[in-house]
Amino acid sequence: MLVLVLGDLHIPHRCSSLPAKFKKLLVPGGGRIHHILATGNICTKESYDYLKSLANDVHIVRGDFDENLSYPEQKVVTVGQFRIGLCHGHQVVPRGDPEALALIQRQLDVDILITGHTYKFEAYEHGNKFYINPGSATGAFNPLDPNVVPSFVLMDIQSTTVVTYVYQLIGDEVKVERIEYKKI
Amino acid sequence: MYPWSSTSYSGQAPAGDAVQRRTMPNGLDDQEKLLAEAVGSARKQAFQMNHFLDKERMLDALKCASTMLSELRTSMLSPKSYYELYMAITNELCHLELYLSEKSQKETDLYELVQYSHTIVPRLYLLITVGIVYIKNDSTLKRSILKDLVEMCRGVQHPLRGLFLRNYLLQCTRNILPDVLVAENEHEGNVYDAIDFVLTNFAEMNKLWVRMQHQGHSSEKTRREKEREELKILVGTNLVRLSQLESATLETYQRLILPGILEQVVSCRDAIAQEYLMECIIQVFPDEFHLQTLDPFLKSCAQLETGVNVKNIIISLIERLAAYNQRSGKTSGNAIDAIIPAEVELFEVFSVQIANIVQTRMDMPLEDTISLQVALLSLAQKVYQDRVDYVDKVLGTTAQILDRMNMNNISHLLSVNQELSRLLRICIDFYNNALTIIQLYNFCPLLEKFDYTSRKSLALYLVMNILENETCVSTSDQADSILTIIAPLIKDDESNKDSSAAAANSIDPEEFAEEQGVVARFIHLMKSDEPDMQYKMLQTARKHLGNGGGQRLKHVLPPLVFAAYQLAFKYKSIADEDENWDKKCQKIVQYCHSTISALAKADLPDLALRLYLQGALVIGEIRYTNHETVAYEFMTQAFSLYEDEISDSKAQLAAITLIMSTFEQMSCFGEENAEPLRTNCALAASKLLKKPDQCRGVVACAALFWSGKQNGEEMRDEKRTLDCLKKGARIASQCLDTGVQVQLYVELLNHYLFFFERGNSLITVAMLNQLIAKVNEELPNLEPSEETKQIESHYKNTLAHIRSRMESSDAALEVSFAGIALNQ
Repeated sequence: MLVLVLGDLHIPHRCSSLPAKFKKLLVPGGGRIHHILATGNICTKESYDYLKSLANDVHIVRGDFDENLSYPEQKVVTVGQFRIGLCHGHQVVPRGDPEALALIQRQLDVDILITGHTYKFEAYEHGNKFYINPGSATGAFNPLDPNVVPSFVLMDIQSTTVVTYVYQLIGDEVKVERIEYKKI
Repeated sequence: MYPWSSTSYSGQAPAGDAVQRRTMPNGLDDQEKLLAEAVGSARKQAFQMNHFLDKERMLDALKCASTMLSELRTSMLSPKSYYELYMAITNELCHLELYLSEKSQKETDLYELVQYSHTIVPRLYLLITVGIVYIKNDSTLKRSILKDLVEMCRGVQHPLRGLFLRNYLLQCTRNILPDVLVAENEHEGNVYDAIDFVLTNFAEMNKLWVRMQHQGHSSEKTRREKEREELKILVGTNLVRLSQLESATLETYQRLILPGILEQVVSCRDAIAQEYLMECIIQVFPDEFHLQTLDPFLKSCAQLETGVNVKNIIISLIERLAAYNQRSGKTSGNAIDAIIPAEVELFEVFSVQIANIVQTRMDMPLEDTISLQVALLSLAQKVYQDRVDYVDKVLGTTAQILDRMNMNNISHLLSVNQELSRLLRICIDFYNNALTIIQLYNFCPLLEKFDYTSRKSLALYLVMNILENETCVSTSDQADSILTIIAPLIKDDESNKDSSAAAANSIDPEEFAEEQGVVARFIHLMKSDEPDMQYKMLQTARKHLGNGGGQRLKHVLPPLVFAAYQLAFKYKSIADEDENWDKKCQKIVQYCHSTISALAKADLPDLALRLYLQGALVIGEIRYTNHETVAYEFMTQAFSLYEDEISDSKAQLAAITLIMSTFEQMSCFGEENAEPLRTNCALAASKLLKKPDQCRGVVACAALFWSGKQNGEEMRDEKRTLDCLKKGARIASQCLDTGVQVQLYVELLNHYLFFFERGNSLITVAMLNQLIAKVNEELPNLEPSEETKQIESHYKNTLAHIRSRMESSDAALEVSFAGIALNQ
């Protein structure tokens, strides 16, 4: 089961589109992606429609620059044997702090917690739970980090195992890394 | 008198008077029946003919042939049926011809003999058949017989019969037309005789064809035109034949063939014929010829009848030549301009002649005039790819035409608008580069002729093109030009305020948002490596984009602000090279401030607040002179928007959380600025409307006193951190809804634990135990529900976390979990 995880696009506020190399990877109607989990700041209906064209099942939580009030602040999605929590993360003080994120993990009672807002890819285990931040798919401008690397994540979920592939646009090349997590 | 020309066959003439007076039957069945009858009796005669031929009874055979051919005298058949009959009969004639070719030496008087046939149609068919046999046997007869035949055919003046008869002549002579410049024997004829022969035949056929139009009742005009349409290929075959003459050189074409054809075409004054034949000329003769005869051809176009679609003819010629150019360009691999001879100034010739046509043909609809300009434009683009001036000239001419007709504000509902739009879209598509478009001086003047709706859709088309091609705009002049072109997207129709207000109401909000999103995306393509130029561009864009009203500002100003923030970072990074970077950053921040306040004034407080907060972060990072004061100003602007403009309780909680989380990350403030901000956050959080919001707000505030910065260091104020938590607990205790209360207690427990683990020594195990006891006491009393379940698992996870900490042997843990009573 393939799950696309991405967010913080900020189109058109901070950039004009996804990087061309990502667009080539994420082609509408490809049909391989089953679910999309978006960490927010999708910002426009066009971006939403684009995600919809990649997979029918799209889950979005509200980012600080999302106007759409119908997006929830948090969401839990079950994929296979995993409960996956989704939250943009601007509500978390201090921002991106693993312990602060753990508070949300406990509240949502999830195996995997996905957040954004830091524009920096991360994937780690903490207290036997798995945390993913897909970064910003457009490499959107961030005042606290002048060198944002555009990135998104693809999760391949098979029974109790999640294999996470992170796609990062470094220079003009897409680099892919693989990280595995097993549920206990 | 010859026996086969006697009475026996006059009885079979297809015609009682009564029948002939009737108009041609319409019914399909009638036609089929008539055709079947005619073919049947023709076959019978053919069978007889072949029989006599086998027996070498020549005269009887000829008599049968004549009887068979007389079937072609009918007036009852439609062109289609007549054609089938003609095919069946001429097929049989082949046998006769074959036989005669073998035997004719003996029958030297045949050519004379057949002339005594009773009626003219069979006589001429036979004459042609025999004549061809003669020519094949003795080529010195060729010249005179051809001349004779083509003249004799004048004898049939009934259009349908005449057309097919001459077609037969043309088919039979197909392989024997003289095709040499100089014949060995002058009686064999040369290519000029062939040209003369075909041109004469062509002229006569065309006359017959045209005459069809004027026969019969006017109510049957449509049917007649349909029939003519079916027969046109017979006339066109003459031109095909001419084009197949290999000895006919370009010079011959220029001097004899084309003038001959054009003379007939122009003088026949028949629209259907003219349109078809002009098209035919274009298609059958080689491109090399066309290139050298553009002037006479196009001049004739100007003289055609009013009903003729001259536009299509010229477009067809242009397309052919453009395709020729591209085709030969590919095969020869030469530079494009080398394909079409330099002395042929294709564009100039067409340009002049089209202007001429437009002027002389007053009746031509404006759409067609514009279509001609479209064709001219595509010629310029396909053949002269580098000549932007040619394209510009076409646009200029078009604008002049519209000027002359006093056409302004051309409605998107007019059909001429479509052609005009096409003209501009072709330019955009061809170059795929908006920077080339702005070099076309006549693009804007022409665009001005459209109404607002179409200007807007063209503007959108251009911006989409920019986005697709990622065309980078790198100077403020370029930005200015493009933003001028796309003005209809940027502001309302100024020329007509009333109707534009009405239009604005009718516009679909989603569509509007999409359009503005496109403009917003474009802003990021204004990129210069020169920071100073980038700043100029941002200023230009601000000027253009500032007047669109709140609905537009919401979409187009935030990109400007973010672009400016990025520019400030750029200056910071070149601080070593540019000694004025500091001042420039100040200016940029001012620019952002005024842009954001424009958004605030446009009743967009939520957006403005977020942009102020982003600005505060940027300023805090860049640290130019005076940055602290300005960052403070940005924070206070955010605060006042929060206090004055945001009233929805959910939006309030979101806003204050954002303010706090932003502030928590900032380290640029000295205490005299930091303290009021902190206090204000705490105060604002405690004043939220709903108790749960208050509780969560106040608890979030705790982080400000812990990890929030004081003179650049984490503050770690144990007491005030704990105060926030305690205040949160107090507010939670006031909640009447037990479910919400327990939920808040579990959240509080987690926050207590968070700071406990971080080493806040004022938080004691007793406090944690107290919270645990409260939850333990209340939780079992909750009604079973989805929410309760969530609280239970939240609590369970929290206890599991504590347990894992208690069991942990990790030496890094600073605090002791000993004494926490999990099972009270």
